[in-house]
Amino acid sequence: MSSELTDKKVDRFTHALNELDKAAAFAKSMYQTDVYQEASRLMETMEGMETLFHFANRFEEAGVFANGPWEDASKLQPPLVAGSLKTKGLASIIEILSDLRMLSIAKGNYDHPSMGSEEAAEFLNEVLALNLDLLFPGDSEEARIEQEENAEQLDRSQRFFQFLFTRISSDALTGTLREEIERLMAQRPIMVKRVISMIQMAKKLLNNSEAGETEHPALEKYIKAIEGPSPLGENTSNLNDYRKKLKDLSEEELKQEAEVLSNSMQDTGLVAPQHAVLVRFLSRNKPEMLSDALSLSDKGKANLEEHFDLVKQLIKVGIYPATGQAVYGLARMLDRGVFSYSPVIPGLRRLIELDIKPEVRKDLLNAYQNRQGLTANTILLSGVISVLGQPLGVGQGLNPTCQSARGISLWAQHAPGYLLELIPRAARDGDIDLKFEGTPIHSKDLKGGLAPELHKELDPVSLVLVPHLDRIYNEMMTRVALRGEDGHRWVNPAFYGNWVQTGFSNVIEPITGTVTDYPGYVRLFYATHHPEYNDDYELIYPNPVGIFITNVHGKLLGYHAVSILRIAQVPSGDYRIYFYNPNNDSSQNWGQDIEPTVSGNGELEGESSLPFHEFVSRLYAFHYNPYEQGDAFAVEDEIVEEIEKLAKESWGREYTWVNI
Amino acid sequence: MGLDHLDLENQTQQNLNEETKPYLTALIGWSLPAIEACDKLDKPFVVVGPPEFEGFAEKNDIKFIGWNFDQLNEGSDQLFKKLKALGAEVAVPLYEECVEWAGALNSRFRNEPRVFNRSLLLRDKGMMKRKAQIAGIKVGVFEEAHSKEDVRRFLKRVNEALLKVEGDKNDPIHVKPLDKAGSVGHRAIENPEEIEALTDADFPLLMESHLDGQEFSCEAFIHKGKIQFLNITEYVKLGYSNFVPASPGLEDKRPLIRNAIQQLVDAFEIEYGVIHPEYFITPDGTLHFGEVAARVPGGHIFDLIERAYGFSAYQAQILCSDPNTTEEELRNFFPEDNGQADGYAGCLMVHPHVNYIQELEVPEELENHPYFEKHDMFEPSQGKVAERIGFGNHYGTIFLYGEDSETMRELLEKYEKYDFYK
Repeated sequence: MSSELTDKKVDRFTHALNELDKAAAFAKSMYQTDVYQEASRLMETMEGMETLFHFANRFEEAGVFANGPWEDASKLQPPLVAGSLKTKGLASIIEILSDLRMLSIAKGNYDHPSMGSEEAAEFLNEVLALNLDLLFPGDSEEARIEQEENAEQLDRSQRFFQFLFTRISSDALTGTLREEIERLMAQRPIMVKRVISMIQMAKKLLNNSEAGETEHPALEKYIKAIEGPSPLGENTSNLNDYRKKLKDLSEEELKQEAEVLSNSMQDTGLVAPQHAVLVRFLSRNKPEMLSDALSLSDKGKANLEEHFDLVKQLIKVGIYPATGQAVYGLARMLDRGVFSYSPVIPGLRRLIELDIKPEVRKDLLNAYQNRQGLTANTILLSGVISVLGQPLGVGQGLNPTCQSARGISLWAQHAPGYLLELIPRAARDGDIDLKFEGTPIHSKDLKGGLAPELHKELDPVSLVLVPHLDRIYNEMMTRVALRGEDGHRWVNPAFYGNWVQTGFSNVIEPITGTVTDYPGYVRLFYATHHPEYNDDYELIYPNPVGIFITNVHGKLLGYHAVSILRIAQVPSGDYRIYFYNPNNDSSQNWGQDIEPTVSGNGELEGESSLPFHEFVSRLYAFHYNPYEQGDAFAVEDEIVEEIEKLAKESWGREYTWVNI
Repeated sequence: MGLDHLDLENQTQQNLNEETKPYLTALIGWSLPAIEACDKLDKPFVVVGPPEFEGFAEKNDIKFIGWNFDQLNEGSDQLFKKLKALGAEVAVPLYEECVEWAGALNSRFRNEPRVFNRSLLLRDKGMMKRKAQIAGIKVGVFEEAHSKEDVRRFLKRVNEALLKVEGDKNDPIHVKPLDKAGSVGHRAIENPEEIEALTDADFPLLMESHLDGQEFSCEAFIHKGKIQFLNITEYVKLGYSNFVPASPGLEDKRPLIRNAIQQLVDAFEIEYGVIHPEYFITPDGTLHFGEVAARVPGGHIFDLIERAYGFSAYQAQILCSDPNTTEEELRNFFPEDNGQADGYAGCLMVHPHVNYIQELEVPEELENHPYFEKHDMFEPSQGKVAERIGFGNHYGTIFLYGEDSETMRELLEKYEKYDFYK
C-alpha cells in the first residue's frame, strides 16, 4: 500500500478521534462508529497498528470505550479476549483498541487512574500466553477451517498479536507461559495434551525471539521433557534408532540414561516417548534397572520386586511411546503400593484380555490420533495405570461431570478393587449398576445425564466410565428431587459408597432458597472438621463437598463439586484445607483475595489448598459424622463473623439471608 | 450606580432565576444529534422523551422528562405544567409522533390555540391533502379509505379515468397510513388481489393516484412565516439514496419551488420550525404536492445539509422554532440562500439483498474513490436480516461528497445495486 494512502487513513483516523474527543459525554456514541471504522482500516497493516498504538494513550479519555463492556480497564479479563477477537465485526475491533490501551498503560504512555503499568503488562502477558495459537498459527484442521471461514478477522487478530509480540518483553511472556505450565503440571494431571501444546508454543516463542535469557533454562526443561531429555535421545529423531542405540550402551551408560529420563519425569511430571522405549527395553533386558528408570521409593522398589511378573506384563501391554505418560502413573502406582489390595492384581489381568464393546473401542481408539498400532486394551490399561497411580490427576475435561470425576478419583484412592469392577462392566457389558436405597439402578436403562454430549478429551478410564456414572448420578438426584431437602444428602453416600458420612448440612434452605442460620452452619463445620474444635477426629476418607464458584470479583458463577482430602497446620500455625478439584486447573482467583494454591503451601501432587476460613466462605454443603462432633460453641465469634462477611459479599449477594 | 454594583445586581438576578432564566427549549422526542446541537448553541434545554432514556439522561446530567407519547388522556396537561414550571417556552418536535405534542405545547406557550390545530394538519395525511387542495396547490387524486371495498373502488375508478380497457396493465395507486412517518406502511397496489393483503389494522388509510415525474424533497427553515433557508434534496432512489443540494437541472427550478413552498407555508399557516415537503416535478415544470412533515427528515438529510452547507440543520431547526430568535441571529447563522454549496453531499442507505448475511464486502474501488467519505457498516455478529419497516432500519449508510452532481448520481446508482452483504 502506498504511503500516501496510509497518510490519508491516518488523517481520517486522527480526525475521527479528535471529533470523538471533543464530543460531550452524552454524544460519544455518535462519534465512536467513525473511530472504529477508521481504526479497522488502519488495522489492515502493521504500520497501521503502530499508528493506532501511537494514539492509544488518548483512547480512553476520548471516549472510545464509553458506555460499553470495555469501559473499565480494571474489570477486563484476559481469558475473554480470545472470544471477542474471534467474534465477527465490531467486537474484535474494539477488543484490539482496548488491548492497545493496555499496552499504552503498560509502557507508561498513559497514566490510568485505576490500573498500574505492571498490572497492564501482566494482563497482556496473559493474553499472549493464552493466545499463542494466534501468534504461531497452527496447521490443525480446526485452525484451518476457522481461517477459511473467518479470514479477515483472523488476519486482523494475528496481525495484532504479531505487533503486540514485538512490543512485549518476551522475557515476561515466556515467564507467564512458564508459570502457566508449572501451575498446571504441579497438579500432575493425567491428561497433558494442553500442557504439551503450550510447551510446543513456548518452543516456537524461544526460537522467535533473541531475548528471554532468564526464562530459557526453565522452559528448556519442559521442552526436553517432552522431546527427550537425554543426549542419546536428542540426537535420535527416530524411536526405533533410539531403541537400537540402547542395545549398544554399557551398563553404566544405561543407568545414566535411566536416571536422566526419570529425573526429568520426576521434575516435570511429563514423560518423553523415549522413556517408554527405555522402560520396555529394561523390563525385558535389564529388569534390575527398572526401578532407576521409574525412580521408585523404597516402598516402590519392594512392590516392584514382589510383583515383577505382573509389572512386566503391564509394561508389555500398556506402555508404548504413544501411551508413555502412563510410565509416570506406573511409578506412582508402585510407590503407592496399590498391588497390596488383593482384588487389584486379578482386576488388572482381566483388563489385558477384556472383550471391549465396539463402541467403547472406537471411543478409546479415537482418543489417540497417532495410534501406532495400539489396541483398545492397551489404551484402557494405560489409562487404568495412570488413574491408580495418580488418583488426583483425574479431570472432568470440558464436561460438567465433576461428580463422576470425583468418584473415579475417590475409588482409585481407597477402593481400587471396586474401580476395577466397574471398568470391565462398562467396557465389556455397556452397563454398570449402583444400588440406591435397595434398588439397583442400571445405566443402560437411562438416557441423558448432565453431559449427553460428552466432550471426549478425557483419560481412558473417564472415557469409559463417565457416561454411565453421569447418568446414574443424575437419576439418583431425580429420584430425590421432591423430598424437600438437598438430595446430595442421600445421593452422595449411595453414589460414592460407604466412605461418605451420612451427616449432611447445606447452607441454602431448599424450600425457601434462603440462607438461614449461617453462623450455625459455619460452627458445625468447624466442630466437625477443624482440629482445634473437633476433638481431634481425623478426616479419613475424602469428604465430597459442594462449593460456590465465584469469579475474580467474587460474583457467583455456579456450583462445583470438590473433595476435602485433609486438613493440616502449616508452619505459620494456620490451618489449611487440602482438596481435590476435578477441574485440574485449581489455582483460579475466586475474588476477595481468595486464591487456591497448588504448590508452596504443603500441597501434595494434585492437591489444592486454601486457608481454612477462606475455604469455608465458599462451602455450600458438606458431609460429617454425627458421632464425631466437637464443640461448636467454642468457635470464636470473630471467625464466624469474618466468614459470614466474605460469604455475604460474594455469592451471598445472590441470596436472601434470614437471621433466626 | 457604579459598575461593580451593576455586576452584583446581575448576579443576584441570575441566582434568583437559575431555573427559569433564560427560558428552556423543550426538545420533544429523543435524538442525540438534536441534544448535541442545542447544547452547542448554549441554549438551556430539557428533553421530553420516552421514559427508557431516563437513566442515560441522568448519567449525563441532561434535564429530562420521561413521557409516553402514545398515551393521550386528561393527564396530558401535566406535561405542559411540568415544562412551564421548569421555565420552558419553546417546543421542538424531533420525530413524527411528537409533532402534535409540540404543537399543543407551543399553542399553550404562545397562547395561540390554532398552533395546535395546524400541527394536526401535518399529522393527518388526508386532511393535509384536502387543505392543500383547498389552497389551490396541485395534488393528485386522493381519498380516504375505511375498508377494502373503498380501495377496490378507488383503484377501479382511477384506472377507468385513465381510459384503461380490460387487459391493460393498471396504473398503481398508493396507500399509506394517515399518520405515519415517510414511507412507513406505504404500499403500491396495481391489482385487486393485492388489496387482500391489507388488514383491518391498516384502516383508515389514504389512497392516492400515482404521480409521474421526478420526486424530491425540500427542507425549508421557517421563521415568522418566512423561508429563511431552503434546501432541495434530490432523490436518486426513494429510500435508498439522495443528495444535497439538488443537481443544476433541479436547482434551475428553485424560484418555482420556492414559490410553491411559500404558498404551502401560507396555506398551512406555518410560522416556525422546519418543514419537509415532498413534490413531484414533471418535465414541463409542473409541481405536484406529495406530502409535508414538520420534523427531522429521514435519509440522513440533516447530515447531508451540514456537510454541504456547513451549518447544523438541527441548530437551524431549533433557532427557527424559537419566536425569540432575532433576524440578525438568523442572518449570521444561515449562508446565502441560493442553493449554492461547495460540493454535493450524498448518501446511500444499504439494504441487504439476502436473508442471511455471511460477510460484509465494501469494494476497494468505492473506498478509494475520491468521493467516498465514510460508511458505518460492520460485519454483523449474527447474520439474520431483520424485517424492514418503512425505510428506517437499513443496515448501514455510505456517505459521499464531491463537486459534480452527475458523478454523485452515477455512484449512487451504481452502488445501489451492489451487494455489500453476502
